[in-house]
Amino acid sequence: MVGSNKIIRVSVKVLVYALLAAAVFCMLIPYVWMLSSSLKMNKDVFSFPMQWIPDVPRWQNFVDIWTRIPLGKFIYNTAKLSVVVTILQLLTSSFAAYAFSKLQFKGKNILFLGYIATIAIPWQAYMVPQFIMMRSLGLNNTHLAIILLQAFSAFGVFLMRQFYQGVPDELCEAARIDGLSEYGIWARIMLPLSKPALSTLTIFTFVNTWNDFLGPMIYLTKTELKTIQIGLRMFISQYSAEYGLIMAASVVSIIPVVIVFLALQKYFVQGVAASGIKG
Amino acid sequence: MQNETVLRPKKAPKSILSKGVRDHLVAYSFIAPNFIGFAIFTLVPMFFAFVLAFVKWDGANPMEFIGLDNFTRLIKDTTFHKALWNTIVYTIGVVPFTMAVALALAILLNQKIIARNFMRTVFFFPYVASLVAVAAVWNFIFSPTMGPVNNILHLISGVPIEDLPRWAADKEWAMFTVILFTVWKNMGYYMVIYLAGLQGINPELYEAAELDGANAWSRFRNVTVPQLAPTTFFVLMILVINSFKVYDIFINLFAGADNQLNDSTRVMVYQIYNTAFRSLDYGYASAMAIVLFLLVLGITIVQFRGEKKYGQ
Amino acid sequence: MNYKRLYGMTFTAVLSVGLLAGCSGNNNNAQNNAAATNAPAAGTNASASSEPDQEPVTLKWALWDWEATAYYKPLIEAYQKEHPNVTIEYVDLGSTDYMTMLSTQLSGGADLDILTIKDIPGYSNLVKQNHLEPLKGFMDTNSIDPALYGGTVEQIEVNDEVYALPFRSDFWIVYYNKDLFDKAGVEYPSNDMTFEQYDELARKMTSGSGAEKVYGAHYHTWRSAVQLFGILDGKNTVVDGSYDFLKPTYERILKEQEDGIVMDYATLKTSSTHYSGVFYNNSVAMMNMGSWFIATQIEKVKSGESQATNWGIVKYPHPDGVEAGTTLGTITSLAVNQKSEHKEAALDFMKFVTGEDGASVIASTGTIPAIKNDEVISSITSIEGFPADENSKAALTTVQTYLEMPMHEKSADIEVILNEAHDNIMTKNATIDEGLKDMNTRVQALLNN
Repeated sequence: MVGSNKIIRVSVKVLVYALLAAAVFCMLIPYVWMLSSSLKMNKDVFSFPMQWIPDVPRWQNFVDIWTRIPLGKFIYNTAKLSVVVTILQLLTSSFAAYAFSKLQFKGKNILFLGYIATIAIPWQAYMVPQFIMMRSLGLNNTHLAIILLQAFSAFGVFLMRQFYQGVPDELCEAARIDGLSEYGIWARIMLPLSKPALSTLTIFTFVNTWNDFLGPMIYLTKTELKTIQIGLRMFISQYSAEYGLIMAASVVSIIPVVIVFLALQKYFVQGVAASGIKG
Repeated sequence: MQNETVLRPKKAPKSILSKGVRDHLVAYSFIAPNFIGFAIFTLVPMFFAFVLAFVKWDGANPMEFIGLDNFTRLIKDTTFHKALWNTIVYTIGVVPFTMAVALALAILLNQKIIARNFMRTVFFFPYVASLVAVAAVWNFIFSPTMGPVNNILHLISGVPIEDLPRWAADKEWAMFTVILFTVWKNMGYYMVIYLAGLQGINPELYEAAELDGANAWSRFRNVTVPQLAPTTFFVLMILVINSFKVYDIFINLFAGADNQLNDSTRVMVYQIYNTAFRSLDYGYASAMAIVLFLLVLGITIVQFRGEKKYGQ
Repeated sequence: MNYKRLYGMTFTAVLSVGLLAGCSGNNNNAQNNAAATNAPAAGTNASASSEPDQEPVTLKWALWDWEATAYYKPLIEAYQKEHPNVTIEYVDLGSTDYMTMLSTQLSGGADLDILTIKDIPGYSNLVKQNHLEPLKGFMDTNSIDPALYGGTVEQIEVNDEVYALPFRSDFWIVYYNKDLFDKAGVEYPSNDMTFEQYDELARKMTSGSGAEKVYGAHYHTWRSAVQLFGILDGKNTVVDGSYDFLKPTYERILKEQEDGIVMDYATLKTSSTHYSGVFYNNSVAMMNMGSWFIATQIEKVKSGESQATNWGIVKYPHPDGVEAGTTLGTITSLAVNQKSEHKEAALDFMKFVTGEDGASVIASTGTIPAIKNDEVISSITSIEGFPADENSKAALTTVQTYLEMPMHEKSADIEVILNEAHDNIMTKNATIDEGLKDMNTRVQALLNN
């Protein structure tokens, strides 16, 4: 009885792992292709039949991407923008989300609904009025423009609010009785409890700012201000596209994001929130 | 909640402001930093985009007030209807599929399994990678006659390659292809949200359920699902909104050298973009955006009601 | 009408006040525009005195592909040598959505002075938006002869006014791979081929299978590469609203596709196959493409990426009864921002780039300038790596060039419809008749609107 149960459990496990392995393989194929393409000449990137390992790996691509365009400068700009935007986003979003989740005030639901619904308006619909406004404020061709546009999003508030919903109200009440101000509750109870959500928001904001294309394209027309996604597209010119270089630059541009993701992994471990509650 | 309101006044008895006012001020002070920035840089331009829906404007010359003309035009515009229809089909295809896969992955990768961090990273990868690059790979793999997918299908099924679906190039299969691509690309994103949500569940609840003799399925139904309700609401809303706003994915997957979508792949934001920037009809484009906004607002209100009811 | 106008002004005012609260001096756009429309030549006459102003001036030049384009830097250097007081800053708006970006920048009141115009639909839009400075007056006072530009200036006239001057003028030719012809023992293509002869030759040159397959011809996935064979007889244009005349063209091309003479459109599109790659890899014997590819091909042969080292060019195939040298063209022009604060200097720079001095600088980089005199042609043909045979040199002369997209008030919208229907036909999601009917009905609806 016990033995057959164990067999079933083991075989389920094996099956799950096999499925996972297959899925991981599917997920990785494009990256293998990207890596292999980044070592090819442009003309060979899309040639059939596919060549997974190039006969003559062209390491020159990884040299060219730094010399053909100021990639180092672009990475620096993008990193700067991403870090500043992420910090601002985390602060303001978690702050506002606390009010939406744990405080009572007039117009809360309407304001919150309005917040969410504005996410639905495609940027393309209001980008011209926004651009006219930003230019008139003298913010054209400044990194500040991108920071101001990205840092105060409804998305972050929404995400944090939903997570705070899961934190029991009793916890805040208890803190209030202990004499903590609302700011104190936010800083000492909500923030430490919401590490997984903060990590999520960090990752998302970082990735979004990192991969943003249209915003920088419109607001940053000076080469020394441009970002990596614009740089990537500099290899696509009017009559040709250098996919070998695009792939090489893509490979390089993924690295920082993956580092951020891996660094925040440790906050996605069950028990963080729980231990907070107990303590 | 009510009990506490009774308890609180003793803490700041001497304030000049009444307690209600003070509580409101505190609440608003929390919202202010984000809201002020959001209002200036996003809400104000959005408001002007709304105003544009009632004018005829080419982006430079003086505007002309035309009342509801832009909206009555929408009623007869079959190209727009097709775009709206395609967007809805896409949304219906993407939302449930993505939610299911993302939740399953999150639960699986929340267990103590081998190489957990590695796997989480791998599933998140497609979201991170530049769309230009992954769309090119995807199209390459699904290429009608030479791509490996059709060649493998041909080997397995014996169906001649000409009779197999031509995926992105096939009006019957294009929507399916893009839904599959979207799920593949974004499931890691929603998986991360679910993972964060799962961390918020008190393990004691599971322990209690286990003591009561609940099996895995009933633990999932009675602990995970209700505890994840706020997260699920968030995922659902963001998924719906993002699906309605889809643009980049379609452009990169289908647009080709002429940068154009056709009847079977035209979506709302593409139509808005084209109307505004190619036809220089900013007013009409704004009217389309308002339709999109109202649609999502409607869905949001319904969902929001549902969430509140569920949360009680 | 008056009421509408009044409402319009009110809305503009509301928007201006709201958007430009506490801002610099850009809030009278609308008035500027209106004034400029009434007095088109205002401000241009002043520049008649071409005495170089010694005040330092900085001009901003909107362009795309700064890194990948050979002639920008030499042009600026050549100009600054004679005008040391002028500094030219480039603003690279990227090639993919260039015209959209430019229009957005201008709507926002960007301080760009010189504008590069990438295509006709975009030009037509900028004219409608009153962003461009009218040039007729300037051309008269500086005696710039439109005849120099081989008829292209006339083709971009709007209501008897011109808002841009071309500096680069590309036209379509046929590139072929001599080695593949030698191997097949087929005679090289000639400078005078009808469509039928081109088709025949392509069929003769198709051979092999699998990775060794050689395709007789190659059509890139642009609409212009296929559809516009239909307009070369000069009887029809693509902005008339009736497209039945395209049927034979589509029939011929789809037949070639079915017979495996050319690569399948759907495959090319989905696999992002670039025309240069297949030509470099010796996979196609002939390819119709614009003259911009000459410089690239020369460079890639040198760098070793192009294995089609032995190549040549000939004139574009033409319909029966039409003179050889009739081809499609596309022009790249310069215009001046109507709101530029340095209009005189900007006009002077434009005059230089679009004039004969600019033409010789552009030609020296292997690109075909808009002014195509003998000197320019010999400058290009003498570039190292240009095919040595006489036919290739002769291929650079044209008798009649039709613009890929003619000037029309609604050319941007028409282009969208044509591209969509074209894609449906080529991917076989619509039959030829269905596709043409779609073009007819939608464009006619647009024109009658």
